[in-house]
Amino acid sequence: MSRPDLPQLVALFAQECRIAFRGAAFWSLAAASALVAAWRAATPGATSAIAAYRAAEVILLGLGVLAIFLAAASAARDRRQRAAQLVLAKPQGSSPSLVLLRFAAVWVSLAVISAIALAATSLAQIAVSGTAWHPYPYAHALARTILPVGLAAALGFSLSTIFTTSLASAVAAIYWVVIPLTRPHVATVFDLTLSQHWPFAALLTALLMLLTAAFYARPIRDRGPATAHLGWAVALLLLATSVAAYSVATNGADALLDPDPILSAIAAQSCLADPRAPGFWLPDAHGRLIALSDHTNRPIVLTFWGPAVGESARSLILIRDLAAEFRSLGLARIAVCVDRDRAAMQPFIGDAGSDTVMLWDRGRHFGDGTYAGDSPAAVAYDVGELPTTFILDRERRVTGRIIGDASPDRVRAEVTRAIGP
Amino acid sequence: MQVEITGLRKVYPGGVVALKGLDLTIPPGIFGLLGPNGSGKTTLMRILATLLEPTAGNARVGGYDVRTEKASVRELLGYLPEEFGFYPNLTAYEMLDYLALLGRINDPKERRARIEQSLHRVDLDQVTGRRVGTFSSGMKRRLGIAQAILNNPRVLILDEPASGLDPEGRVRLRDLLAELAGDRVVILSTHIVNEVASIAQRLAILRRGQCLFRGRVSDLLEPLKGTTWIIDINEDELSRVRQDFEVTGVFRSATGMQVRVLANAMSHPRVHATEPTLDDAYVALMNRDAAQTDTPCERDAEQDEPA
Repeated sequence: MSRPDLPQLVALFAQECRIAFRGAAFWSLAAASALVAAWRAATPGATSAIAAYRAAEVILLGLGVLAIFLAAASAARDRRQRAAQLVLAKPQGSSPSLVLLRFAAVWVSLAVISAIALAATSLAQIAVSGTAWHPYPYAHALARTILPVGLAAALGFSLSTIFTTSLASAVAAIYWVVIPLTRPHVATVFDLTLSQHWPFAALLTALLMLLTAAFYARPIRDRGPATAHLGWAVALLLLATSVAAYSVATNGADALLDPDPILSAIAAQSCLADPRAPGFWLPDAHGRLIALSDHTNRPIVLTFWGPAVGESARSLILIRDLAAEFRSLGLARIAVCVDRDRAAMQPFIGDAGSDTVMLWDRGRHFGDGTYAGDSPAAVAYDVGELPTTFILDRERRVTGRIIGDASPDRVRAEVTRAIGP
Repeated sequence: MQVEITGLRKVYPGGVVALKGLDLTIPPGIFGLLGPNGSGKTTLMRILATLLEPTAGNARVGGYDVRTEKASVRELLGYLPEEFGFYPNLTAYEMLDYLALLGRINDPKERRARIEQSLHRVDLDQVTGRRVGTFSSGMKRRLGIAQAILNNPRVLILDEPASGLDPEGRVRLRDLLAELAGDRVVILSTHIVNEVASIAQRLAILRRGQCLFRGRVSDLLEPLKGTTWIIDINEDELSRVRQDFEVTGVFRSATGMQVRVLANAMSHPRVHATEPTLDDAYVALMNRDAAQTDTPCERDAEQDEPA
């Protein structure tokens, strides 16, 4: 009995890709993704970085769902085309290598769809804005696309193989809907779209692929009662939950949010290019993620500070006192603590006042106010020294920046200017 | 090379018993599996093709156990399922190439030669570049036969190979099977009795998961010699004839109707004797089995023959 050799696997992979690429489903998916990406990129006010960011968002959230269906379709292909018996009766018809080749072929087709969408984005962008584009956003968009899409495909592939229905792929799709909706509560644990969570995502992907291979190795008609599959699914979910829970229990919910250098570079770029302040998601004292965009349509006083810098506490007290003056205008106050340790901001919560949003940006600073430049949000705002206070208007444009110790009059003047007549 | 089945039993998860302890030895040559719908033919073939696990009992293909030595069995096997499909976006050639790769025909030259030969044998060599999605059902079935003979199998299992084929296709299939048989085991199932008569040397008749007969076609016909009659009747006589005799077939003739009946002795004004056909034997067997369902008669014409 001959074993599969490399040329055979290559030939088989070529056929798998051919099956995945041919047909209306693939091209309509690619065309739809390209259209959506181009439309997002061409939305007014986009710089290259922001447009690419939006495209990545589209690819992650929109294509993620579609990816599941594509993968599920591929897994259910033999059943749908009724070719399962032809394939399974062949010596290699149920081999794990065939499962992996199919998975790889689906993945390659998804990567091609992503590439089409990204290409459409950059072309639309160049056409609309005429600005030169920078390689960073694209590298970043791909980095953030490949793993989550791979995971989504694995999830859909596994579920539809195990349950053999399209219902399973719908369940997998719910993941992509639930995560953005319930972001503050589950995101820190389960949001695998954050590139920082890649080890967890990779582990889960590998598990799913192994499970799929194990299931695929059994004849289709002989899979036993549905309860057994349900048992597997529950076991998998429990495993994933306990891994996540263990990771939270040992490291704290935010430990996975390490600085992402590419993200920082993009944010810093967009800060320079766009009058609008860069957005961020940062954990608060309880580990919940808070987005800058949660405070829409309000002027914002945003202070970056460090517990080791003497002037920082004074700045916090200052903005707390100012809050009463501007309360009727809906002034939001956000204080971002730049430190290695989240607990370091605890003693200052009283100084800042109860309605100041205290966030943590993991990084290093020194007693003289100099800052190591290693935390994502502070880098995005090009903070050189702590404390630095930004005044943002209702459209999230930076209207004022005060470096170092701020006097009440200066802050009052800047806020008044931001609010406008 | 032979297929041995001992005490094979299959109970589906819903409780349906498809095979009730089947014993069968299939020697090289063309072997027909006959039986009504739901008699267990497809279940048996799928077990032999390693696609289904038997609940109990044993089946060995060329000495390999279908349960524990699946890979070895599949190496020997060519299988045409009763219902199947292809990937519609691939051409006939690409589809066979894919299945040949799964069949571990690794050398590209050999693969090419085998594919071309198979397509030629089923008369599809003019449409190798056409997408399978555009094929008619007869062409798809022929392509199915082509994929089954692709790896030059020692054991060929064909589930309803002739369904959907036009008369010319059936003739070609018969020729192809005769050519292939030789020292190979060719098992084909059908519920069209005369199809088997023209192709198979031996056959087994299944009903409700049990074997009613196994042996040569001639052994099945022998006991019926001298008991098969044709009666010319009027249409209004039919129900009475049905009551009085065991009817195996009703035909229309130019003058009225003809019925084929089985009877040891016969007295009727318009009757003449005829040679028994497989149809007669089959119907007789089914009727007798239905009459004594509680104590199924297990005839075995092959007991005194070397296997």
